[in-house]
Amino acid sequence: MAENVSSEGQRYNFTIVKWFSICAVIYLVVGALVGDIIAWQLAFPSLNLNEYLSFGRLRPLHTNAVIFAFGGCTLMATAFYVVQRTCGVPLWSDKLAWFTFWGWNAIIVGAVVSFPMGWTSGKEYAELEWPFDIAIAIVWLSYMGNFIMTLAHRKSSHIYVANWFFLGMMIMITYLHVVNSLAIPVTMTKSYSIFSGVHDAMIQWWWGHNAVGFFLTAGFLGIMYYFIPKQANLPIYSYRLSVLHFWALMFGYVWLGAHHLQYTALPDWAGSLGAAVSIAMIIPSWGGAVNGLMTLSGAWHKLRDDYVLRFLVVSLAFYAMSTFEGPVMSLKTVNALSHYTDWTIGHVHSGALGWVVMVSVGAIYHLLTRLWGREIYSVSLVNTHFWIHTIGTVIYICAMWVSGIMQGLMWRATDDYGNLSYTFAETVVAMHPYYVLRSVGGLLVLAGGLIMLYNVVMTIRYGRPQTASAQH
Amino acid sequence: MSDLIQDFFHTDWQAMTRADWTGLAIVLVLTVLMIALYAWVFRPSNKQKFEQYRDFVNDEQEEERREVEHGQTR
Repeated sequence: MAENVSSEGQRYNFTIVKWFSICAVIYLVVGALVGDIIAWQLAFPSLNLNEYLSFGRLRPLHTNAVIFAFGGCTLMATAFYVVQRTCGVPLWSDKLAWFTFWGWNAIIVGAVVSFPMGWTSGKEYAELEWPFDIAIAIVWLSYMGNFIMTLAHRKSSHIYVANWFFLGMMIMITYLHVVNSLAIPVTMTKSYSIFSGVHDAMIQWWWGHNAVGFFLTAGFLGIMYYFIPKQANLPIYSYRLSVLHFWALMFGYVWLGAHHLQYTALPDWAGSLGAAVSIAMIIPSWGGAVNGLMTLSGAWHKLRDDYVLRFLVVSLAFYAMSTFEGPVMSLKTVNALSHYTDWTIGHVHSGALGWVVMVSVGAIYHLLTRLWGREIYSVSLVNTHFWIHTIGTVIYICAMWVSGIMQGLMWRATDDYGNLSYTFAETVVAMHPYYVLRSVGGLLVLAGGLIMLYNVVMTIRYGRPQTASAQH
Repeated sequence: MSDLIQDFFHTDWQAMTRADWTGLAIVLVLTVLMIALYAWVFRPSNKQKFEQYRDFVNDEQEEERREVEHGQTR
């Protein structure tokens, strides 16, 4: 394939990108499957068949599968691809890249075994126990080291902005993961955090929100800044805005974690600071979303028949929506209603399904044609995937918005004498229809993932070879 | 109204701990850096310096030319 060779005749390592891409699609299906199973379990508790397959044990499996297995493999595929393409050199070390691949997948297998067994640190989005935490740190450093060394050996003097986002994500996740995972091991499968009380809560959400802010935002913005102009074959709307977007995101995001702990033992000022910086973050976030959307300025007709571009562009609409909703939810008055309700779940999934999955899927479809040098097996199936995923996502988040706001209002409702108007059980009964609706939305997302997997396999096996010019 | 604002912005400086002062200093430094960043990025004379990379991912020939002109080709 023509694209496997740099302008200096060096061979790029795209085999590793291919394998990470395939793994990402498989993990998308697995993560969505487990997610939909636990959604049905919430609607119909009798589906909790035994302790190994109960909601409490499958829920971390779902979050880890979608965030670290699907999201992680997507980030590794795209970062390794973009850094080679934009630096004009192959990866610094193929062996290290394969170590990253096998190490990351071994950790995922470890998660699949350990969560149903109930081995968990109890830290949200960091449930894996201490041996896995050490393994994650080593594998992550191999990924970052290879990326940095490839940048260091680049042919061009300029480091394209997508690489800045990838590198920022890698550096921040390294120290967030290490600090959050500091623990005293008791046995091979149990450890206790070295932090306690409110400090533990603050460290947990410092990590928790930055898993969203850096892993699920900065890294995927790197994807956006490469794949949207590439797929549209248009220059990015404003490079200055992208630089501002990057630094504002890096400066701002680390302060937001405290907004998860409003009305707790955390000092009031810390929560207020978290909310204030959250509001300030709307500016760079929307700046970035506008930058991506305006790239299509004057060329919106491309969306009519370029289904891959549709995924990439619609993801930005969800990015803009969720980066407005999040700061609003962090305000104390809104948080008083929204916290601990399904509204939070709706918000998270508007970001996860709308932004992260759609930008990833767009990038993987783009890579599919370039890496294997083949036309997509069925463009109409890409279109079907787009609509089924979009409809599933909208059903999911609308169900959770309605359920969450209703839940919050029912919890706070009092009668003339100040007594609670509803028991907790009554709120659960009221939410049941929305839980079923959410499960249906999740089922559509899962169906979309299966369609994509089928299309990817068929493209690799039977797709028509592309012309050389189309590969660029 | 002014009492309300005064009350809102009231700070007990004597109660500030070392951690509070450290946090305050970091916030102020980052604020100054952010303002400097905005000024640097949006300064009209810097526009071309940034915007020359707008089409970086699509124009490989342009990339080669740009590097040669800057004498930075490796």
